[in-house]
Amino acid sequence: MAATQTENTRAEAGQLPRSTSAGLATALLAILLIGVLAWRSLEQVSQANTWVAHTQDVLEVTANLLNLMVDAETGERGYLLTRDEKYLQPYETSITAMPQELTHFRSLTVDNGPQTQRADRLRDLLDRRNGQLRNTVTLCHSGKWDEAREQINSGAGRETMLQIRAVVKEMQDEERRLLAIRQADFQRTSNISTAISLGGAAFLFVLLLLAIVLVRRDFLARGMEAWLRTGENGFVNKLPGEQDAQVLSQSALDYLCDYLGATAGAAYVAEPDGTLIRRATFAWTTAAGEREVFKPREGFIGQAAWEKRLLHIGDVPRDYAKASSGLGEHVVRELLIAPAMVDGLVTAVLELGFFRTVQRHDLDLLELSGEPLSIALRTAQYRARLEALLEETQRQAEELQTQQEELRVSNEELEEQSRALRESQARLEMQQSDLAQSNAQLELQKSQVETAQKVLTRKNEELMQADQYKSEFLANMSHELRTPLNSSLILAKLLSENRTGNLTVEQVKFADTIYGAGNDLLNLINDILDLSKIEAGKMEVRAERIGLQALAETLRRQFQPVADQKRLRLVTTIAESAPPDMETDAQRLQQILKNLLSNAFKFTDAGEISLRIAGDSERLSFEVKDSGIGIAQENHGLVFDAFKQVEGTSSRKYGGTGLGLSISRDLARLLGGDIALTSSAGKGSTFTLELPRKHAASTQTRQQPERQTPTPPPPARPARAAQTLAAAQVSTAENGAAVNSRRILVIEDDQGFSDAVVSIAKELDFDCLVANTADGGFELALHEQPSGIVLDVRLPDHSGLSVLDRLKRNAKTRHIPVHVVSGADYTQAALQMGAVGYALKPVARSELTNALRQLVTKAEQKGRRILIVEDDAVQRDSLSKLLSSEGVQIIVAGTAAEASEKLRQTTFDCMVLDLSLPDQSGYQLLETMAKDEELAFPPVIVYTGRSLDREEEEKLRRFSSSIIIKGARSPERLLDEVTLFLHQVETKMPPERQRMLKEARDSESLFEGRRILLVEDDVRNIFALSSVLEPKGAQVEIARNGREALDHLLQKPGVDLVLMDIMMPEMDGYTAMREIRKNAEWTKLPIIALTAKAMRDDQEKCMDAGANDYVAKPIDVDKLLSLLRVWLPR
Amino acid sequence: MEPAAVLDMELKLLLEAIYLRFHYDFREYSIASLRRRVAQAMIQLNCPSVSRLQEKLLHDPDAFPALLQYMTVQVSDMFRDPSYWRSMRQLVLPVLGTYPSLKMWIAGCSTGEEVYSLCILLREEGLLDRSLVYATDINAESLRRAQSGVFEMERVARFSHAYREAGGRGSLADYYTAAYESAVFDKTLVKNVVFSDHSLATDSVFSEVQLVSCRNVLIYFNTSLQERAIRLFSDSLVRKGFLGLGSRESLRSIATGMAFDEVVREDRIFQKL
Repeated sequence: MAATQTENTRAEAGQLPRSTSAGLATALLAILLIGVLAWRSLEQVSQANTWVAHTQDVLEVTANLLNLMVDAETGERGYLLTRDEKYLQPYETSITAMPQELTHFRSLTVDNGPQTQRADRLRDLLDRRNGQLRNTVTLCHSGKWDEAREQINSGAGRETMLQIRAVVKEMQDEERRLLAIRQADFQRTSNISTAISLGGAAFLFVLLLLAIVLVRRDFLARGMEAWLRTGENGFVNKLPGEQDAQVLSQSALDYLCDYLGATAGAAYVAEPDGTLIRRATFAWTTAAGEREVFKPREGFIGQAAWEKRLLHIGDVPRDYAKASSGLGEHVVRELLIAPAMVDGLVTAVLELGFFRTVQRHDLDLLELSGEPLSIALRTAQYRARLEALLEETQRQAEELQTQQEELRVSNEELEEQSRALRESQARLEMQQSDLAQSNAQLELQKSQVETAQKVLTRKNEELMQADQYKSEFLANMSHELRTPLNSSLILAKLLSENRTGNLTVEQVKFADTIYGAGNDLLNLINDILDLSKIEAGKMEVRAERIGLQALAETLRRQFQPVADQKRLRLVTTIAESAPPDMETDAQRLQQILKNLLSNAFKFTDAGEISLRIAGDSERLSFEVKDSGIGIAQENHGLVFDAFKQVEGTSSRKYGGTGLGLSISRDLARLLGGDIALTSSAGKGSTFTLELPRKHAASTQTRQQPERQTPTPPPPARPARAAQTLAAAQVSTAENGAAVNSRRILVIEDDQGFSDAVVSIAKELDFDCLVANTADGGFELALHEQPSGIVLDVRLPDHSGLSVLDRLKRNAKTRHIPVHVVSGADYTQAALQMGAVGYALKPVARSELTNALRQLVTKAEQKGRRILIVEDDAVQRDSLSKLLSSEGVQIIVAGTAAEASEKLRQTTFDCMVLDLSLPDQSGYQLLETMAKDEELAFPPVIVYTGRSLDREEEEKLRRFSSSIIIKGARSPERLLDEVTLFLHQVETKMPPERQRMLKEARDSESLFEGRRILLVEDDVRNIFALSSVLEPKGAQVEIARNGREALDHLLQKPGVDLVLMDIMMPEMDGYTAMREIRKNAEWTKLPIIALTAKAMRDDQEKCMDAGANDYVAKPIDVDKLLSLLRVWLPR
Repeated sequence: MEPAAVLDMELKLLLEAIYLRFHYDFREYSIASLRRRVAQAMIQLNCPSVSRLQEKLLHDPDAFPALLQYMTVQVSDMFRDPSYWRSMRQLVLPVLGTYPSLKMWIAGCSTGEEVYSLCILLREEGLLDRSLVYATDINAESLRRAQSGVFEMERVARFSHAYREAGGRGSLADYYTAAYESAVFDKTLVKNVVFSDHSLATDSVFSEVQLVSCRNVLIYFNTSLQERAIRLFSDSLVRKGFLGLGSRESLRSIATGMAFDEVVREDRIFQKL
């Protein structure tokens, strides 16, 4: 790396790489050396050459000298012989050339000492010879020929010549030796020179080759360098700072794959714990089972990260990895797995696959890329952390603010509350100060009153004591009196009947008188008892609703015979403004009015007696007016006093105890009213009874214990009360309170029949209301809430069946039992419409009585009977104790069979059912109850120790709306639920009735047999919607969530319409609708969404999800029905 | 006109705009709180005036989700007010245990702390499997977070403390897994929870429930909206069903007509009559 950088800088500076310049320098030096060497050897060659030439020159000159000498000799000899001067010519030429040649020779041999010496010797010899020749010639010239010949013959010349020749020879030998030496020398230097040339050339060649290699290598290295640098630069440029690890690794991977020509790649980024997670892929073919997360040392990825080195896997197995395109796929041949590191920490691992063989530079680039990628990743991480911190800080600031907000808001709320509190406190304080003031005054009065009261209390106590004695005495007395009186009454009656026929008319009359007197006596005793009871405060008030019309009618009927007898007119009127009914003790009211009326009849001999009822919603007045003897003003106070009569004679004349008015007034006061009298003697009198319309203490008196009656104990069942004879009048009156709460409405236009019903009703001691028309009857039923209805089918305005229908459709009248009578047989229709019984006219009296009793029983049972079905005796007992209260009859059953039996016998208002029974499960019992028409189906409370799963619960829900799991707090809830059932207005119909109604109501043909899937998890809504749709003939199927709905649609195809709730567990409505619409079969299936959301875009949301329409909760039934009509396929 | 009056006017217009455009009804929220919340949002969303905020809201699709986070106050803790949860455990759940299956409604569940608290309680009392809990809020983002069940670890320490005070039977750690400074709560706890968008201001009753827990929600409403919400609760509850409110909330200022008994006065637990 460092070296590369230096190289780079050198290259940038325009310098050659060191190896290259070193090579070049070597080459230059070598060339210089070779040049010098060559020059020098050439020099030597030329020197050797010179010397060779020189030697040749010397040889030539020597030879020349010799030749010249020879020529000169030859010329001399020729001359001598011939004496012809012409032969002297060569002599002359040689002699003249000789010195020059000699000088030349001398110069040539000047460098060689021996040669020079020889040359000198030769010159001397030559000179000597020359001299000899010249002598000869000269002698010749002078004609002395002999002498010249002598001289030649002497041999001196020849001698000299020989010497010359020897010298020349010597010289030539010397030179020849020199030449050989020189030629060898030349040869040597020449050889050296050749060697140097060749060697230099070879060396240069090698150098050149070396240089070429070096330069090439350098060039290649530079190219790779540039590639790497471009790659690296490009890579770094691809890693801008604003990216997260994902984007970063993706762009890094993309770049590298692109640049390296990799065919597939993946980038794994290290988490803080060293786990490597795949964040980016390049041309990656996801294979099944491949991993995206690697721990350190796990797989090649983990291993590379652990070892912190690049892994190169050549020769990848054929099925190891493939890169594919749309056209096909190819096996990845080699894999590179490179960790990216900074500061020795691995931040990511890159995995690249190649089709080709991986090169060194690929590795280099990967290694180079490691650090910038790491740095970028780390920077990204830092930035992310920084941002997170910043966000955290901001979030905390905001959180603080929101927390403050909550504090503030709740403070404001508190302030608001305390302001309200202060206001009310201020008001209270003001009131308190007012109160304090009046208190102080009261305090004063109180102390005065207290003093008086103490005196009074003492007196009162004394009086009470006396009263007590009196009451006891009277009670005892009356009992003592009654017993014998009763006997004498019965006997007198028997006598007067004269069964044996042995009594005279006179005697019978006596017996009648005894019976009459006895009765008077009995009445007197009763009156006295009543009075004493009232005075002793033992008289109770049983308030109930009374119809004024009926009351007047009853009284009229009772007194009409008296009036007829006395020939008086009896008029009863009810003011128009008077309310239809009142709430008070009916028996006591009747007693008062009867008293007043009988008084009126008693003291009136002619004219008329009238009863007028008037009043408003608060108070009522009953005015009894007669045209009798009247009462003088001064006696007005006395008439009400007990045991006092206006005059002693009155009693004798008119009879009676005189206690009536006194009792009446006391009773009136007991009922919260009073009696006023306007009268004057001889002008008749008017007694006005004023009573509040609602008796104030009506609720308290209910719970007071049965009072003691001095008469023989009355039978519990009022039905039988009517059959008791002598004491009938008294006992009916005593029991009337309970009986009169039951009221029968007769809807009948046939006077005779209605009279018969009224009389029977009277016998059974019912209040009886009569309506002549269908409309009137329905109105009365609605307002008077009778306990039973006797209904004729033929009525002047509408059919009785239409009344029945209206009654059964109205929640307020639905529960009233209806008995239908008719001339024609409509039994089936009537029963189907919900009548409890049917009778064909003419109806026998007994049948009518039974019918009325049935109605009564139905009505009487209201809120009174509980059936407990529980196998465990202890549990049963404790439940009975828990639920028992006044007026509640508890019947228990230990087995299902027993329970069925009880249910067959009578009806119950509520049934508490344990699920585990010895003979049958509670659920089976419920099913039996539902199937068996003869069994009543009261509201059921399932009370079980088992916890139920959803299916069980749903099954039970069909029969029971309240299921209680036993636990610490369950008794409380049981009591609660039971109380609810006993007191709730019976607007919910029992299932059997529902079923009948379902059949009776006009089921719309459109809904008939249609299957509607209701997808809803709220039980309340399921009930509500089922009860609307099922009577219409639709078949409602339930799914509790979207998932169940889909399953249901799949398993039970053929659903006509889906009602889809939105908020459901498991799968909500939106999802469910979308899923439904995905199925091609269900694209046309109408879906109506039911949602609690009210906004327009919620509606759109439903539509988008696939709903055809939309109904907002709470559901408007009419709207839903009309939507169903629209959407149900025809 | 005074600036404060102008602000209130703008605020009113803004709420109307939100209602018309997004069908979120804040018009009957407590105005004092809204003033502060909107002021806060204006700073964060860079709007110099409420009107500017309104404009942004109507034209920038991203603006409303951001604003919504400010309009609703998401402050909650697990087992907040431990005595409330103790009372739930000791007095309410035993009664609810008598129903074969239970439905409960956490109205304004925010980010789910109450939901998890209730579900933990139900599991410890053995009722979770037969319970269905509706967790509703108007803020989809909160619902999403509630559904995820992830809470910051630093808060979980606080939750644990409250859990013990609320009478927890084990350790809160039994119900979560800690990872990266967060605690992920057991998914099976909310298996029977329906998370849903529901507005107490505009939507109606969706199911019959035995318990409604709506804590620290009513304080953000004005009196008439409080009344609407209470009526909704009353209509949803079965007879003798329970209603739990926040520590500063009461039924006292609500107009009558909805009869509730106080079960635990100091914990604001009521029972429908």
